[in-house]
Amino acid sequence: MISAFFIFNQKGEVLISRLYRTDFKRSIADVFRIQVISNSDVRSPIITLGSTSFFHVRVNNLYVVAVTKTNANAALVFEYCYRLISIAKSYFGKVDEEAVKNNFVLIYELIDEINDFGYPQNSETDTLKSYITTESIMSSAYAAEESSKITTQATGATSWRRGEVKYKKNEAFVDVVETVNLSMSAKGTALRADVDGHIQMRAYLSGTPECKFGLNDKLVIDKNERGASDAVELDDCRFHQCVRLNEFDATRTISFIPPDGEFELMRYRCTSNVKLPLRIIPTVNEIGTTQVSYTVSVKGNFGTKLSATNVVLKIPTPLNTTTVDCKVASGKAKYVPAENIVVWKIPRIQGGQECTFTATADLTSTTVRQVWARPPIDVDFQVLMFTASGLIVRFLKVFEKNNYHSIKWVRYLTKASGSYQIRF
Amino acid sequence: MAANMRGLTQFIADIRGARVRELEEKRINKEMANIRKKFKDGNLDGYQKKKYVAKIIFTYILGYKVDIGHLEAVNLISSSKYSEKQIVCLSFTGDGNSLALVQGYLAVTLLMHENSDFLRLVVNSIRKDLDENNEVHNCLALHAIANVGSSEMAEALAEDVHRLLISPTSMTFVKKKAALTLLRLYRKRPEVIPAVEWALRLVSLMDDQDLGVVLCVTSLITALAQDHPDAFAVCYTKAVDRLHRIGIEHEYSGIYTYYKVPAPWLQVKLLRLLQYYPPTEDMTLKNVLNETLQTIMTSSAEPSRNVQHNNAQNAVLFEAISLAIHLDTRSPLVDTAAVLLARFISSKETNVRYLGLDTMAHLAARSETLDPLKKHQGTIILSLRDKDISVRRRALDLLYSMCDVDNSELIVGELLRYLKVADYVLREEMVLKIAILTEKYASSYKWYVDTILQLISAAGDHVGEEVWYRVVQIVTNTEDLQAYAARVVFEYLKTPSVHESLVKVGGYILGEYGHLIANEPGYSPIEQFQVLHSKSQFCVAPTRSILLSTYIKWVNVFPEIKPQLINIFERYRHVLDAELQQRACEYYALACLPDDNEMLQNVCEEMPPFPPRVSGLTSRLNRKMTDTEDKRTWIHGGREINLEQQQMTTLVRPKQAELPVNDSATASGTADSAVLNALAGLDLTVPSEAGESAPAPRLTVGPSIDKWYQKLTYSAEGVLYEDVQIQIGIKSRFQGYLGQLAIYFGNKVSAPLTSFTSTIYVSDSAALSATFAKIPANVLAPRTQSQQLLQVECKKVFTCPPILTVSFLAGAYQSISIRLPVIVTKFSEGVKFGQADFFERWKLIGGFPREAQVVFPISLDAAGHIDLPHNRRIVSGNHFEILDGIDPNPSNIVGAAVLHTSVEGKVGCLLRLEPNREAKLCRLTVRSTSEEVATAVQRLVETALRME
Repeated sequence: MISAFFIFNQKGEVLISRLYRTDFKRSIADVFRIQVISNSDVRSPIITLGSTSFFHVRVNNLYVVAVTKTNANAALVFEYCYRLISIAKSYFGKVDEEAVKNNFVLIYELIDEINDFGYPQNSETDTLKSYITTESIMSSAYAAEESSKITTQATGATSWRRGEVKYKKNEAFVDVVETVNLSMSAKGTALRADVDGHIQMRAYLSGTPECKFGLNDKLVIDKNERGASDAVELDDCRFHQCVRLNEFDATRTISFIPPDGEFELMRYRCTSNVKLPLRIIPTVNEIGTTQVSYTVSVKGNFGTKLSATNVVLKIPTPLNTTTVDCKVASGKAKYVPAENIVVWKIPRIQGGQECTFTATADLTSTTVRQVWARPPIDVDFQVLMFTASGLIVRFLKVFEKNNYHSIKWVRYLTKASGSYQIRF
Repeated sequence: MAANMRGLTQFIADIRGARVRELEEKRINKEMANIRKKFKDGNLDGYQKKKYVAKIIFTYILGYKVDIGHLEAVNLISSSKYSEKQIVCLSFTGDGNSLALVQGYLAVTLLMHENSDFLRLVVNSIRKDLDENNEVHNCLALHAIANVGSSEMAEALAEDVHRLLISPTSMTFVKKKAALTLLRLYRKRPEVIPAVEWALRLVSLMDDQDLGVVLCVTSLITALAQDHPDAFAVCYTKAVDRLHRIGIEHEYSGIYTYYKVPAPWLQVKLLRLLQYYPPTEDMTLKNVLNETLQTIMTSSAEPSRNVQHNNAQNAVLFEAISLAIHLDTRSPLVDTAAVLLARFISSKETNVRYLGLDTMAHLAARSETLDPLKKHQGTIILSLRDKDISVRRRALDLLYSMCDVDNSELIVGELLRYLKVADYVLREEMVLKIAILTEKYASSYKWYVDTILQLISAAGDHVGEEVWYRVVQIVTNTEDLQAYAARVVFEYLKTPSVHESLVKVGGYILGEYGHLIANEPGYSPIEQFQVLHSKSQFCVAPTRSILLSTYIKWVNVFPEIKPQLINIFERYRHVLDAELQQRACEYYALACLPDDNEMLQNVCEEMPPFPPRVSGLTSRLNRKMTDTEDKRTWIHGGREINLEQQQMTTLVRPKQAELPVNDSATASGTADSAVLNALAGLDLTVPSEAGESAPAPRLTVGPSIDKWYQKLTYSAEGVLYEDVQIQIGIKSRFQGYLGQLAIYFGNKVSAPLTSFTSTIYVSDSAALSATFAKIPANVLAPRTQSQQLLQVECKKVFTCPPILTVSFLAGAYQSISIRLPVIVTKFSEGVKFGQADFFERWKLIGGFPREAQVVFPISLDAAGHIDLPHNRRIVSGNHFEILDGIDPNPSNIVGAAVLHTSVEGKVGCLLRLEPNREAKLCRLTVRSTSEEVATAVQRLVETALRME
């Protein structure tokens, strides 16, 4: 299991250092610094040196590192690291060097709480917040009372939810967020198209509500049960621990008692029948060795009522470009020499609308004629109320013994950042 | 100017300030895009160009790929002209211009690879800079050439670099750089440097005033002389002279002392250079050299406490010792050296120990007697256990070299003991060396077999195939050894774990000679079989096939174990390995033949002795030595090997001369000799003279040169040569077979003649020796005369006079080659005879072939008479005693002389000269006891007479 845990800054200085077991000395941090941080060749998140394995996650120029000597479950170790990051985010917002330095006491408290002798423990933000606080100290009597509740809660059937929660207005928000990954060949065929989705829920419900959740009718979960061709197929579904899995296995219904506040109900992946929100047709011609001409058109491939916002196309230019002359009807285009790209920003594209970009890039001569590698065009965007996988929330029912009325909100968002790529 | 490049400063500051690599990349990308744009737009002034190229260079230095800006860099090089135009308006441009140039060159040397097309554009600019008078520009250009050093550049610019090197107006630092640049070009493309043509001129630079220049030129000459030893032979004298001047006369400026050692680098280089030449014959040089070496050794005797001082001193000392060994191993110097070395090998410092052992190995490889080394055998053996592996290696080499019959048992024993703990990297070499030593110095065959088997069992994996082949060969060829070997091998095989090589040896020896010991208790056939067969299961297929052959031999000699053996063949017939299966089937068939069939007996006849063959071990060892840059002047091993090696190199050398000589030829040379070594059974040692004699210098021609020379052939003093700059005069004295010539060199101009060199070339050194009494001074002051004494000795009759070559620098390089009036008759002495005596001898000698006669036309004097006094002068000038009253005709001349030679002794010589006034002809008859003398004398006198 995890023997040591560190957070390093960009330069390799140790910000947080915790040894859970005695099989390492603090100097193991130097090994990581030398072997990983100062070695620019290392890209793998897992490095095994001898019998020692280093797992690291990079976030905002910080290295979050877990070290183990045993044959630990790598997925678990990474989950632990990511979980710590998300807890830290919910406690003090941004996770960067400054925040870590400012909150190092809290972080030590947290990493001691969520890990015991290297074994990960309850890492539910909600629960943790009940006894690890950043506010001023409560009266000791109250604290004692609270702490007794913690025990019952942590050991009870619903460890993720406190007993008596009261809201004046019972509301539940469901956000379906999908990230589209696309890599399209120069001929226009999709080499890879898939969707990473997660359903984020914010529940502000009194008492101990029992929720039932329904998705599309033609939903196929797991590959082995083949549905109709237009069905929505989800792979690799993963649920929050509150979801009753035996019930899901038996009847395919998602029922659960939600934790209080925000949590991630479900995560899934979809690889078939992906609806691509933006259609991009690039035409790039190299004219001799001195010029490259571009014609790139973007079309919104969704209902006319919807719109894509914050569309940014990063169109690569050859490395020996001198100037780029751009012409666009909508949005703004600009050559960014620092990254050898032309950035074309379009604030909004309505469904069915088509925008075109034409440009010519002038090149300078070079000593060694190199073939331009033609890296792909990168597109970032957001489309509200649209799911690339086609997933729709049919219903969300809340049963509570008080039988109160609850308001449910559903929102869809499809986005892409850095992974929607078109080759030309 | 540089401070004004704000953009550059800012750029560098930005990059330095970048926290992450990505940021740095972004900044550079941005800057590069900017520069591309600027270059594309054109219209840049010099400052801007310079700034952008500087930025590109900086980016390149950071390790980014740069593929623009080359053209601009090239332009910068030629920018000097541009800037010069600006010089009027901009006061700082002079400085700035060279800065731009620096940057241009920097860019070129950094950005351009050898094969870049742009280099062609640069060549002309560089040439222009080489031609310029500004030495800063010269140096920049030289730097660029040396750094880029492409073959194309070498071809185009070698000539210019050379010109810069020899130009009298070049500053010393330009010369230094030029010499090193030339060296670099030579290493790159040896064929573009006409080394032989330039040789004399380059060597003359070794007389430069500045030791720095001398150092650089010596480096160059060392490289060239290795490939063209004859052309550079003059450098020998120069090097000796320079060493003498540094070491004994202390002729150097203070800045060249390094920790109290005068110019150590130069000394080392010179000492090394001398090692590339065979030891000199010239006594004067030899004495000077010995004196110098002696001084170096005595001055280094005291180790100082300063490390740097010690280092410098030792560097010179070790080179000096090497040279002393190279020159003559019997000289007292080497004894001193041996004492010093003994101290070094027990030094505390690893480096000194290493060098000490290495040099000692050199001594052992050359020396005739190993006694001084043997005193330190204990120390050397201890060095095998040194903590530094390189020292251990040297100790091993040394032990190998110093092994001889007396100490072989001890050394081999010690090596065997050490083998078990030696480093793995050393083992294979050690095994080879032990095997060679054991074979070479085996005092008894028993000892040989014991040692080798011990070696095989101890070293196991490191034993090459050759080693055990050799054992088998020797055992087969030595009859007395066979039973003993079989017994010992058997004992070894009995031990539980045995190395495979030993099983192979055992299989072979027991198969052949097992029957010799079969009757002794404990060695019965069945026991032999069991012991050997128990090992077979651990062996690979080739070993097993050897064992199968052993078994079939046993079927023949040990009928009692035939059933077991047939059983084994039977089993092996079904083995998958084709070789084993085939053998098993054949042997099975052979073994199952009826007893009365003699087939088996015939097949299993005892092995005939191997034809004597040179051991393959030595060639294997030599092949392992790879020489790279500097040639070694010796190899490890005893004296014989080194002598042999020298013969080999003289054999190989003519071949090298034909090839385009470069460093790789060295490799091919050694490879050749390795092949020759391997084939050494054949008689390849054909004596070859091809490489020996240097080509004769080309004689200077002039209208009066011949006249001067002829006149001197029959007179003792006079002018030998004269032109506007120099006059050479001669005074000579001869006594028996010895002679002394005082040669006077007169400087007729008002400037000193520097690098004044005079050398003597003798075509047949076995017949005539000519040496200067001392090394001549190399400067001839204006309007002065210097005298040099030349000692000559006539050993045999010779025909070609020695040639004096005088070279000097008087502005340009001048070289004069003229014959010296040293002819065979100079060594003769007149004798007086009476008439009867004369004719008796005349008849005694008889006619052809001991008579040489010629009839030739003569000219008469003004009065139409025979010029009798002149003739008499010539004849007596040729050291003949004129005998009057023997010939009745007064115009006839009769002479007699005795020629003295040191080797062939005295040769009598008689002469008759019979001029005929009417016919204007003259008959000259020379009779001598030696045919050669007769012809030679006749020719000489005839030429002298005809001259008029």
